[in-house]
Amino acid sequence: MADNKNNYAVHVRDVSKTFGVGATAVPALKGVNFDAREGELLMIVGPSGCGKTTLLSAIAGTLQFDTGEIDVFGSALQKMSKNENSAFRRQNIGFIFQEFHLIPTLNAVENVSVPLLINGVSRAVAERKAHALLAQVGLEGRGHESPLNLSGGQQQRVAIARALVHEPRLIICDEPTSALDKENGARIMELLRQVARAPGRCVVVVTHDNRIFHHADRMTEMEDGRVARVAEINGGHSSSFIPN
Amino acid sequence: MYHIALKMLLGNRSKYIVLVSGITFATLLMTQQSAIFCGLMLWTTGSLQNMRAKVWVTDPKVEQVNEVRQLRDTDVGRVRSVEGTAWAVPLFWGLQQAKLADGRFKQIQLVGLESATLVGRPYRMVAGRIEDVRLPNAVVIDELAIVRLSAGRPKPIGLGDTFEINDREARVVGICRTAKSFFGMPYIFTTYDQALQFAPKTRKMLSFILAEPAEGWTAEATAVAITRATGLRAYTEKNFFWATIRWYFVNTGIPMSFGITILLGFAVGVAVSGQTFYTFVLENLRHLGALKAMGASDGLLARMLILQAFTVGLIGYGLGIGLTSLFGALGLEKGEPPFMLPYQVPLGALAVVLFICVFAALLGIRQIRKLEPAIVFRG
Ligand SMILES: Nc1ncnc2c1ncn2[C@@H]1O[C@H](COP(=O)(O)OP(=O)(O)OP(=O)(O)O)[C@@H](O)[C@H]1O
Ligand SMILES: [Mg+2]
Repeated sequence: MADNKNNYAVHVRDVSKTFGVGATAVPALKGVNFDAREGELLMIVGPSGCGKTTLLSAIAGTLQFDTGEIDVFGSALQKMSKNENSAFRRQNIGFIFQEFHLIPTLNAVENVSVPLLINGVSRAVAERKAHALLAQVGLEGRGHESPLNLSGGQQQRVAIARALVHEPRLIICDEPTSALDKENGARIMELLRQVARAPGRCVVVVTHDNRIFHHADRMTEMEDGRVARVAEINGGHSSSFIPN
Repeated sequence: MYHIALKMLLGNRSKYIVLVSGITFATLLMTQQSAIFCGLMLWTTGSLQNMRAKVWVTDPKVEQVNEVRQLRDTDVGRVRSVEGTAWAVPLFWGLQQAKLADGRFKQIQLVGLESATLVGRPYRMVAGRIEDVRLPNAVVIDELAIVRLSAGRPKPIGLGDTFEINDREARVVGICRTAKSFFGMPYIFTTYDQALQFAPKTRKMLSFILAEPAEGWTAEATAVAITRATGLRAYTEKNFFWATIRWYFVNTGIPMSFGITILLGFAVGVAVSGQTFYTFVLENLRHLGALKAMGASDGLLARMLILQAFTVGLIGYGLGIGLTSLFGALGLEKGEPPFMLPYQVPLGALAVVLFICVFAALLGIRQIRKLEPAIVFRG
């Protein structure tokens, strides 16, 4: 990886993004500056419509932004071609979506093996690793079940196993706990925190869910397309930070 | 990833069934109708299959084998004397009335073979001997005749039984197998001279002259020589076969009506399968978007779609061809409806099915290319 500025996992400078043109144009990001460090779990919070998901999509490389720079582990996203971008995503980024996005016609193991398969790993190896990951998230022996037969919490754990199976360095989560009860949400966050602490990793979580705020290492608050504040949360105690 | 693609396809049971049945139905409709059409076309050449000769000589205006314009008796001699002709014999063919035991009448195709050589004789005898048609009033009937002429008898008509052709008694001395003809009437064979007795008298009675090329002559060369020398029309067997089919193709509505059904099968295939596959892709767009976000390239997703489309296509095609063959086998057992499946038909259907698959896959691939992976973050 190229020069990695101050151990930044994600380095965002003056990024803006406007949806649409003319009278209907919606400026979703208006010059965002933002960093995420290696080894941390960073949360992005803020009111609805302030641009959290847009920022996350840009960091993940799934959304083209208009101006500015985003470095992920030293690679400049704005300089990548479409193919380089998707190759970068499949190697370096794990996704956890709010809606899980598990494929219902595949069982849990197959769902988890998908990122490895996309990376060209053989089916046998991919499924062996998928089984191991499922065991790690507490779903040992449930690998052959369809996601439809699993509870919401279990489905989210399958999704997390899928996000981790190819050992990506950056894990991107949009509202990972919104479909879960408090207990399940807490378990998921604990898991993500462990992942974030692993060397050379970083977890970025967008959330509204104030029940999980204390799991963050740092919090970034957005307002109207900009980063308003960043707060350190030391040992789970927020310093002067009360969003919304 | 390809097993994932197949699982995504097969997991959606109802869509999968609709997709496969669409292709099956289209394949069935296209190949079965084509086979009936080919079979029907083959039937128009029934006489050519039942009276074999290398060269057929007709009136100059005759365009196909089921059309008769009588020749002069002297024409046989003129053909015989053409260089390149080994021999030439007269043949009588005409639609006549047979009277059944119950008093009803049935149409038959009466064939009169030159009695010395019996050229044009049936290709297979089931009972009796063809040579016995030389006996007075003797006829050889085909198997269809047993079905058609047995009404009013205690048991089916057989060897030794008699019936009337145009009020003249005919005695069955043999039973033969024939190929089906377009008219669907039984063939009754007798000698040329007796045929003239059975048939009502007219000024000219000679239907065709059958000729054999001389040693070292091809049928084509002999036919050309006969036409040039006599002014009559001479066809090789093969040319007469295709001329007959061409005539029915051009002069009847048969190709049109079958063509419409075949086109319908094609349209159903494209519409149902193309459309269903498209909605299948649309319904899966969320998942495809997630795969794309996770770094699956457009190329990989496109190959997955192509695999899905072709899996459906080939399974549907196989089932369709299977059903058509089953239909054909049942039909061939009864001899009806007409059925012939030359290899070009399944090959053509395969091409059409592959076209449908490509079409369906392209629709899906277009969607994938347009797909923004960021949609997976939207609810
Ligand atoms: N694809 C799009 N086309 C047009 N406008 C969009 C699109 N995506 C987002 N927007 C707009 O951009 C703004 C920021 O949206 P974004 O989804 O990033 O907000 P958010 O902070 O994630 O909100 P929420 O908390 O409700 O998820 C909103 O005004 C939204 O309507
Ligand atoms: Mg959002």
